[in-house]
Amino acid sequence: MPENTPNPESPAPVEPEEIRVGVYTCHCGGNISHVVQCERVAKMVGKLANVAVSRTDPSFCSDAGQAIIEQDIKELGINRVVIGACAPSLHEQTFRGAVTRAGLNPYLYHHVGLREQDSWVHASDEEGATEKAMRLMAAGVAKARLLDPLDPIRLGAEKQALVIGGGVAGLRAALDIARQGIRVTLVEKSPFLGGRMAQLESIFPTDEKPRQLLHDLIQAVTAQVGITIFTQAEVTGVSGYVGNFSIQVTQHARGVSPEMAEALTAACTQETPDPFNYSLTRRKVIYQPYPGCYPAAPAVDWQHYDGQPIQVNGKSIVLQDDALVHELIAGAIVLATGFDPYEPRQGEYGYGELSQVITLPQLIRHMALVKNGETLTWNGHPVRSAAIIHCVGSRELDGVHEPQADGQVNNYCSRVCCTASLHTALEMRQRFPRLNIYELYQDIRAYGRGHEEIYRHTQNAAVRFVRYHGDDGPKVIAAPKGDPYPVLVQVKDYLTYGEEIEIPVDLVVLAVGMMPRQVDDLVNMLKISRGADRFLLEAHPKLRPVEMAVRGIILAGTAQGPMNIQESLAAASAAAAKAASLLSLGKVELPPFVARVDPAKCNGNGACVTACLEEGAIALQTFVENGVEVQRAVVTPANCTGCGACVGACPNRAIDVQAWTLAQYDAMVDAIAMDWPELVEVEK
Amino acid sequence: MAHSDKPKQPKILILATLAGGYAGADATGQVHLDYPANTYILPVMSPVMFPPEFFLRAFERGIDAIIIMYSGTDSPYKVEADGTASLVNRTYTLMKTRGIDIRRLRLAAICTVCVKPFLKEVNQMADLLKGIGFVKDEITAPAAAQAKGA
Repeated sequence: MPENTPNPESPAPVEPEEIRVGVYTCHCGGNISHVVQCERVAKMVGKLANVAVSRTDPSFCSDAGQAIIEQDIKELGINRVVIGACAPSLHEQTFRGAVTRAGLNPYLYHHVGLREQDSWVHASDEEGATEKAMRLMAAGVAKARLLDPLDPIRLGAEKQALVIGGGVAGLRAALDIARQGIRVTLVEKSPFLGGRMAQLESIFPTDEKPRQLLHDLIQAVTAQVGITIFTQAEVTGVSGYVGNFSIQVTQHARGVSPEMAEALTAACTQETPDPFNYSLTRRKVIYQPYPGCYPAAPAVDWQHYDGQPIQVNGKSIVLQDDALVHELIAGAIVLATGFDPYEPRQGEYGYGELSQVITLPQLIRHMALVKNGETLTWNGHPVRSAAIIHCVGSRELDGVHEPQADGQVNNYCSRVCCTASLHTALEMRQRFPRLNIYELYQDIRAYGRGHEEIYRHTQNAAVRFVRYHGDDGPKVIAAPKGDPYPVLVQVKDYLTYGEEIEIPVDLVVLAVGMMPRQVDDLVNMLKISRGADRFLLEAHPKLRPVEMAVRGIILAGTAQGPMNIQESLAAASAAAAKAASLLSLGKVELPPFVARVDPAKCNGNGACVTACLEEGAIALQTFVENGVEVQRAVVTPANCTGCGACVGACPNRAIDVQAWTLAQYDAMVDAIAMDWPELVEVEK
Repeated sequence: MAHSDKPKQPKILILATLAGGYAGADATGQVHLDYPANTYILPVMSPVMFPPEFFLRAFERGIDAIIIMYSGTDSPYKVEADGTASLVNRTYTLMKTRGIDIRRLRLAAICTVCVKPFLKEVNQMADLLKGIGFVKDEITAPAAAQAKGA
């Protein structure tokens, strides 16, 4: 790795090139031009010093739009490019590609966000939005004049990947990566593989047995060369960067040796609510969630074990969690951390207050415990009538639904619950033919292949549909004493023009949505982003749909948002392909946004070294200048994060972050602050 | 309306971190929530890169207010939370010596989905500027008074 201080004795570069800036103001298909007068912006910017061409286009990100930019670079000698368009997070990479294809250094381009930060937030002030666009574009030009060509930092990449999460997405991703010849470590927090899928009994649309599918997948994973599995393990430390993440994994002990497992399990008397059955049943703290699980050996639930000794063959045994710490290196990290079902708040549709109100995942587990041919019962009473309420914890409205602890409501659609409800209703109809079933829904979103057929079958299976509005949802109340049914569901049915109806039921089932799993520790360690819905956020929904903005971190499955199993598997394979393509060459490129020292200004005072908190990023070294030993700061780019703490600390302005220099910011501030009547009064 | 007919607006510069405020501003745009147009957002890796002199220079050039929207303790940079707070405190001291109202510089932790906090910060600063006016008046007033006294 070359150090980032040019040789102080090297000759200064000869004649600087003439700066010729090409400026491109995008209409964004009307998204910008409906508010910002793009032609005026282009005309004004065209008058600025060094601007050789200023154009507009309906869509510069299109192939034709990019071709215009490429042609200008080649034919007009454009050597700096400024593009005003949508957010840089969406198309900065696209335009870097266009600039590179035309033979220009990709870092001689600057992107100005005119859509999210201008036209979309100033729709009621077209004049103000247009002036703002002019100033921002002028600031872009001011920065572009001071851009230098840069080379990416090239680093070796470890051909190893870490997959976090041992559910169906994590298993699929691990298998697909390993099949590309890249070693994989799979880390699963619980003692068993399989995740949420193992809690299902039948999956739509094929009605296959999920645990059989998981069994096959786990068998393939465990047979695959190059996969190491840590169960009951968590990532407890991460440092480094793409290609070379250093990872600490803490693995809890299984707690029982194979030879003692049977005796200890039999002797264990401490019980806890069983999360596999959503607390409908209880299990021992030494447990296996279901027959056929992997690994087959029982494990101790350390969270609930009370530390009391267990008596086995006259011996008193206290279980010990002798946790192990593993240190790993990985070039890429796949996050397959999954989801949790929405937990309704106390009193929401009677949940937690009326014992007859349960969630759809609970119903699925409850039905799994009812033997074929038996009657469906609840609280010891036969269930004659059941209502399934859709969109609980999904498609919530601000001001209508009560916010959660973080002040937010779940305004997204969880996508999976409509078909899951219909599929469950069909199973109920088949197994309990005399049961009255009601589906209370806002809209039916049976969007996947084969899902619409499930909807039709449910309609034809004497399941009654009632449509409610999101701002006028059902009410669940206890029936008056003496009523034949314990619970009443009151709802305005918009299929019958708002008729108010009352449905007497024995059981209310809340079709709860998906919530992102709590992964705050990972979010903080990896410095990754969550979306407004709190799921982990991809870098771009269309162009980089499984990559995160932090390079080398890749998403698989429902960590990213609600998905069904089929979609989770597709996302996992996409994540695996991304990880494999990133690591297969054994090297990666990083953006060159790191500190650079100007040796002519550096006097070796060391303020930058004191200010820097990144280990090994900057140090003072001794050089000989004109026969005299001097100290100068030297940056190690691989260790520099580009925060700029050194820049703010240097009294001589002798250090800057490449492509983010103080001089560039001063120039941008001047362009924004300038009194500018001659420019903003460009003829309309 | 011709631009010259429009009263001059004070300018608010927002230095927004890529890992926090800048994405928060984009999130605000994605939900199409309006705020005043006299706001100019510049992306920054981390605000710790700016020495106090940068802010003083910006005020002297005619930027009427600056909001630093950083990532606070959620920052990807170890130095950002404490370093930025220290930077702002040092800048406040220098602003006072130059007669610049320290309310013109504000530090706010804004996350990638902090739409409401983003709007609150911008609107509060816009309202403040309606009351305290342009920074140039503030900077020149003491100098003029001094000259008159001499």
